[in-house]
Amino acid sequence: MAAKSMTLLWGSGSCPCWRAMIALEEKNLQGYNHKLLSFDKMEHKSQQVLDINPRGQLPTFKHGDTVVNESYAICLYLESHFKSQGNQLIPDGPEEQALMYQRMFEGLTFYEKLGSVIYYDWYVPEGERHDSALKRNKDGLVVELGLWEGYLSKGSGSFLAGKSFSLADVVVFPTVAFLFRFGLSAGRYPKLEEYYALLKDRPSIKASWPPHWLEGPEEELLLKDI
Amino acid sequence: MTSSGFPGCQSAPAVPAHMAKSMSLLWGAGSPPCWRVMITLEEKRLQGYKRKLLSFQKGEHKSQEVLEVNPRGQLPAFRHGDVVVNESTAACLYLENRFQSQGNRLIPDSPAEQALVFQRMMEGLTLTDRLNSVIYYDLLVPEEERHDSALKRSKETLSTELQLWEGYLQNVAAGSYLAGPFSLADVVVYPNVAFAFRFGLSAGRFPKLAKYYSLLKERPSIKASWPPQWMSSRQGYDVLKDL
Repeated sequence: MAAKSMTLLWGSGSCPCWRAMIALEEKNLQGYNHKLLSFDKMEHKSQQVLDINPRGQLPTFKHGDTVVNESYAICLYLESHFKSQGNQLIPDGPEEQALMYQRMFEGLTFYEKLGSVIYYDWYVPEGERHDSALKRNKDGLVVELGLWEGYLSKGSGSFLAGKSFSLADVVVFPTVAFLFRFGLSAGRYPKLEEYYALLKDRPSIKASWPPHWLEGPEEELLLKDI
Repeated sequence: MTSSGFPGCQSAPAVPAHMAKSMSLLWGAGSPPCWRVMITLEEKRLQGYKRKLLSFQKGEHKSQEVLEVNPRGQLPAFRHGDVVVNESTAACLYLENRFQSQGNRLIPDSPAEQALVFQRMMEGLTLTDRLNSVIYYDLLVPEEERHDSALKRSKETLSTELQLWEGYLQNVAAGSYLAGPFSLADVVVYPNVAFAFRFGLSAGRFPKLAKYYSLLKERPSIKASWPPQWMSSRQGYDVLKDL
């Protein structure tokens, strides 16, 4: 079975890793080999990762002899290779397809804006941090959230590319889940909350939910006031 | 229609003229993302699309005309009839999938080859970010938040990144680019590479990137879409010369 020749190296609490895992579930590729590594222990920079991904980043993925790094590349590869298996993740209609691709790549900006706030201290050494910078990043995230709230209000269906779940949802849902995990107000962002509630129990998403979110301490609610 | 004689170009059946005419691109000069879409349109034999050059300096990317197509006020802003596709990589993927059998194939058939195209394409976006964080440091960071240490770190990160690409291009030759034959990976990445040399990257220190740059400079789709003001003036800035 194809899944048995696949290996995913991943970390818990990583949006990019989660995207790949949702895609694998959607394409009925459960049973893939996987290894959970610790970012805190710097295992993403270990030799076993560097051998497959010289960038020392997760997710890192292999299917037989084929290496595919970069979460979006993994998702595009899996949908292409296993098109006729599991759920179809790229719609046939040109309008939905175009919207899907656009939202996917907007999703990268969405993730960056999120990271610029919740990972501010991780990215910026202490001597270079400024309250003004973090404030600007929060303002940027608020503008971004407004855009997505709008997309979900005016869309022709419940999903990001319309009436069907697609690769846009695969890559963006983890970002939305992280927003609420870090305290985003459902009252202020009702459409995002609706989207989150719609998808959090989807089998592929439930199966790949970050394990450390199921137990263990809550995060610091960095987004509760935005 | 005869081949141009350039490796990899195929002749194509006549394209209905209206196909490209229902496309419009709002673009800005010297923007790698805009350039990617223009290369793709050329590769897919969609010349004849409507286009309008806007000025970033005059803030025209935030004009109503752009905001109606792209609420982010960013270029490229692309339309095909009623279908809007913003985000350069999205527009490229849309065009390749919609016009797969026309012009040059930009995504190979075999999944194993596709894997490398997709991976290098996405890595190309990291390269873009790292280039921008150096070249546009002063634009992105307000004066009171700038630190020499931050710019230095961005330059080191960029240097490491460029060395990765130098490695990816170890065997670069005519017809053998980032993922073998010219592909979407090259569409996304080449504008960044050209940008880097425009901003002073040393060909001596990055000989494979330099070879990649000069081999593809002559590709018809790239030549046809070369940023206009790069042709009229000599080398611009040299912020990357010490990398």
